[in-house]
Amino acid sequence: MSAVRCVDLCKTYRQGDQDIKALDHVSIDIAKGQFVCLSAPSGGGKTTLLNAIGGLDIPDSGEVYIAGERIDNLNKGELADIRLKQIGFVFQAYNLIPVLSARENVEFVMQVQGVPSAERIKKSTAILKEVGLEGLEDRRPAEMSGGQQQRVAVARAVASRPALVLADEPTANLDSKTADELMALFTELNEHHNTTFVIATHDQRVMTYAGRLIRMLDGRIVDDINQRAA
Amino acid sequence: MRLFGVLFRLAWRNLWRNHRRTIIMLGAIGVGVWAMIFMTALTRGMVDQMIIDSIAVLPGHVQMHHPDFPDDPSVSNRMLISEADLKKKFDGAGFKAWAGRVRVPAVISSERESRGVTLLGVDPDAERGISFFNYDEVDGRFLVDASDQGIVIGRRLAETLETGIGKRVVLMSQDPDNEIADRGFRVIGLYSANTKAVEEAYAFVGKATVQKMLHIGDTTTEVVFLSDDYRNVEATFQAVMSATDESVSVRRWYEIDTYLGTMLGVMDGFVLIWIVVIFLALSFGLVNTLVMAVFERVREIGLMLALGMKPGSILGQIIIESMLLLTLGLAAGNFLAWATIVPLQDGIDISVVADGLEMWGVSSMLYPKLYASDMFLATGVVLLLGFLASLSPAWRASRYVPVEAITKV
Amino acid sequence: MNIVFRLAWRNLWRHPRRTWLTTGAMVFSNILLVFMISLQFGMYGLMIDNALQVFTGHVQVQASGYNEDKKMRQTVPDIIPLANSIRTTLNSETVAARGWAFALASSEDRSFGIGIYGVEPEFEAQVSNIPGLVSDGRYLETDNAAEIVVGSVLARNLHVKVGDELTLLGSGLDGSFAAAVVNIVGIFDSGVNDIDRNIAEIPLRLFQETFFMEGGGHQIVVVGDGLEAVPAIRSTVQSMLPDDSDLVVLDWDEIQPGLKQAIQADMSSSFFMYLVLVILVSFSVLNTQLMSVLERTREFGIVMALGLRPGRLGRLVLLETAMMGLIGAILGAAAGGLLTSWFTSHGLAFPGMDEMAARFNLPARMYPEVNVLTLSAGPAVVFVFTMLAAIYPALRLRWQNPVDAMRVA
Ligand SMILES: Nc1ncnc2c1ncn2[C@@H]1O[C@H](COP(=O)(O)OP(=O)(O)OP(=O)(O)O)[C@@H](O)[C@H]1O
Ligand SMILES: [Mg+2]
Repeated sequence: MSAVRCVDLCKTYRQGDQDIKALDHVSIDIAKGQFVCLSAPSGGGKTTLLNAIGGLDIPDSGEVYIAGERIDNLNKGELADIRLKQIGFVFQAYNLIPVLSARENVEFVMQVQGVPSAERIKKSTAILKEVGLEGLEDRRPAEMSGGQQQRVAVARAVASRPALVLADEPTANLDSKTADELMALFTELNEHHNTTFVIATHDQRVMTYAGRLIRMLDGRIVDDINQRAA
Repeated sequence: MRLFGVLFRLAWRNLWRNHRRTIIMLGAIGVGVWAMIFMTALTRGMVDQMIIDSIAVLPGHVQMHHPDFPDDPSVSNRMLISEADLKKKFDGAGFKAWAGRVRVPAVISSERESRGVTLLGVDPDAERGISFFNYDEVDGRFLVDASDQGIVIGRRLAETLETGIGKRVVLMSQDPDNEIADRGFRVIGLYSANTKAVEEAYAFVGKATVQKMLHIGDTTTEVVFLSDDYRNVEATFQAVMSATDESVSVRRWYEIDTYLGTMLGVMDGFVLIWIVVIFLALSFGLVNTLVMAVFERVREIGLMLALGMKPGSILGQIIIESMLLLTLGLAAGNFLAWATIVPLQDGIDISVVADGLEMWGVSSMLYPKLYASDMFLATGVVLLLGFLASLSPAWRASRYVPVEAITKV
Repeated sequence: MNIVFRLAWRNLWRHPRRTWLTTGAMVFSNILLVFMISLQFGMYGLMIDNALQVFTGHVQVQASGYNEDKKMRQTVPDIIPLANSIRTTLNSETVAARGWAFALASSEDRSFGIGIYGVEPEFEAQVSNIPGLVSDGRYLETDNAAEIVVGSVLARNLHVKVGDELTLLGSGLDGSFAAAVVNIVGIFDSGVNDIDRNIAEIPLRLFQETFFMEGGGHQIVVVGDGLEAVPAIRSTVQSMLPDDSDLVVLDWDEIQPGLKQAIQADMSSSFFMYLVLVILVSFSVLNTQLMSVLERTREFGIVMALGLRPGRLGRLVLLETAMMGLIGAILGAAAGGLLTSWFTSHGLAFPGMDEMAARFNLPARMYPEVNVLTLSAGPAVVFVFTMLAAIYPALRLRWQNPVDAMRVA
């Protein structure tokens, strides 16, 4: 069964008197456990596609399936449940809740899921260590650098071990060393837990980690390479 | 429940994020709640005093009459029950106090002037605890027993009649055959009351003395009963009802003095209206604060929604924040009210406008009364209406579309 | 439009909801204030009119001391000629002489002590509303006929009706025994219990004969064109009294000091309530303006860095507040005026008013009085407090230095 399947997605934004096709008949099928990189020039439709997959945005037409379940016709509450239980998000900008500390941000999703506190603490401590934020657990977002905030966001996205992680430019604010560590973490999760990753990025180095590379241009898929196979 | 913990923490932290705004709002709520309770305490104190004063001079808590007496207050409409029968019925029946009285309209004359008074033939022992004035504060002395030969009148009436202690006055009334009955009395005491009107209205003489003067044996025109609290006279009323039959009419104080009864209701209404009005004045600020809080947090609300928090939880979070704000404000307001009312409970002297207050039936000392029930009422109303007022901003917050909210700059 | 005005106006509408909520608080309070103040003034006017039109009138001539003591011998000698000459001098019919005595009124089977007014039948209707309130029979007509009109409750208590005889017993001016037999020609019903139970009127000449008044009486009542005319009437009448006489001219406030004080007492409790409302509005404004200043810190920082003085920015904030305050005042006064006008034409009643009416001689419906003062007083005060509340936010700007301001994200 595929982890994500999109069929003929279209999304058009009206900008003044001009229609911008952010998604133009996009169909993809991502198998469980795939590590997919989505690459496109700025404005190419990456974020729009990730939002559609994550049920944050409803496409104008087409169908979206997550783990075989069609989600583009669900209501808000049902969508929220899917996101909460199956998807980890890293957003392109504005990721953290300002009144919560790093640890509390990481625990947030688990807390809403109802994970008991002992387990939460164990998981959040471990994951924060893995992203190199040991010692910064109690800082609020305003007290951290952009890159540190980004890592907290990543930690939150993977802490609850979701089946699917959608990350929008996760390495945007990171130096190359940290970025490599992060990708190593992603790869490890992908290999050991069979987590499906869909990562939007322009970062060449990130693309080298990907098993599958999808290139988009003006809302269309122009290239779909299975790198592992190659 | 765990979810509530998260929401509560978020709400609490968010509340203090903009501490200036929160403190100003707390100030407003505190002042508002203080005003609600303070004003209510003053009103309660005023009405209590008014009712207690009036009940003391007028009906007791429950009164028993001949059915025709209220419309035709004459000795011919007295109750034909002997003293012994009354004692058998009511002594030891658990009343806080009860007393038989002869109450008739009469004319009192000194050598110089005459006036109409309500003549009260009383048994001083039975009246203790019922009468409105403290016997020990009577100038001269009060009646010693039911067959005392003297008369006690109000200070003000004595001035009008140009009489005083030791002087003689003549009382004139009617006996049951409608013949004029009169008798001379020596003034033995002058009482003071809260209002001039009361000091002019009543003359006290021994019950047995009046009974003899009016040729009515040992019968009385009214029996009054006292219960523990004027607000709750039902038990006393029922007890009297069950001990008597149709030959007498038994009434509660608020049926006798409908003005007072109505006033009590009107004041309860006023208190509620006042609380609601203050709340409404506050509600604009409250809603404003919440709207601002939501507005500033559009992106994080979007984020939480995107992470899978249900819209209902966002709604809950804003409502919890609002309730926290209100609860803190209520605590401050209640405390402030308590702290300002307690030192005033010995009475506020407002005799500058004594004549005017008398017109409203109010005495010139005001004793604020802080009732826990009023504090609960104010608190309850504020929480309930506050909850309703928070619904709209909270609802709006929960309706945000995550992508739009999150990308909003 | 001036650039500063335009800037202030635009800033005001950056957060329309917030501005409307703050303005809403003002409008709410203003409506309430306009309504309540109008209602109070209407009520006070009616209270005074009602109280005065029964017996008091606007100005009275009395023997000095009579107002306090009401003693028989404190007379105005030759009262009828004096009343006539006042009438001539003032060129007004609204002048009437009266005597007052306490007497025992006896019917066939009941007796009560009551107050008897001796009145000039021809003129009494000009100064009092009692003649117009005769509900059964007619008012007095002839100067010295043996006739009487009594209050409705008194008639019931005495078991009498129109056409029956009453015997009056009292003491004359010299202390001697005074008696008269009179015919009941009318029964009046004022709705006020105390008056209907305790008062009867007979012709003044009959009164003078019965009580051996030797041409004297107790009061000359003068009614003028409204309360404004009182001082003028008072001084005119004063100048007519012989220098050596023991007579005094009193105005209504001196005759019935309770009336003004009752109004004062009522006013001070109302003022407390108004003040609370206004303070709550100020909190709202303070909150909004402080928010609006704080959220623009960065923007202000940039402008200050460009060289604008903080004082000018402070004035900008005050100007914004003034605009908001004006909107609140105008809308509030308009809405309050409309609401109040509706009640002015339809009247307003609330529970308990009938009882109040019977007790205090108030009308059973109230008609608020809308005028420039009642419309503008509340909104003006709210506006002033609004401006005061903006001072702190405006001053905060002065304390800010540009670099700090810009650093705030
Ligand atoms: N809310 C919106 N309203 C109008 N146009 C939009 C909106 N969101 C996206 N677009 C347009 O849709 C197109 C695709 O946008 P998208 O955000 O998916 O690009 P992207 O590939 O994520 O770019 P970047 O790398 O810069 O993040 C762009 O042309 C963008 O201008
Ligand atoms: Mg993007």
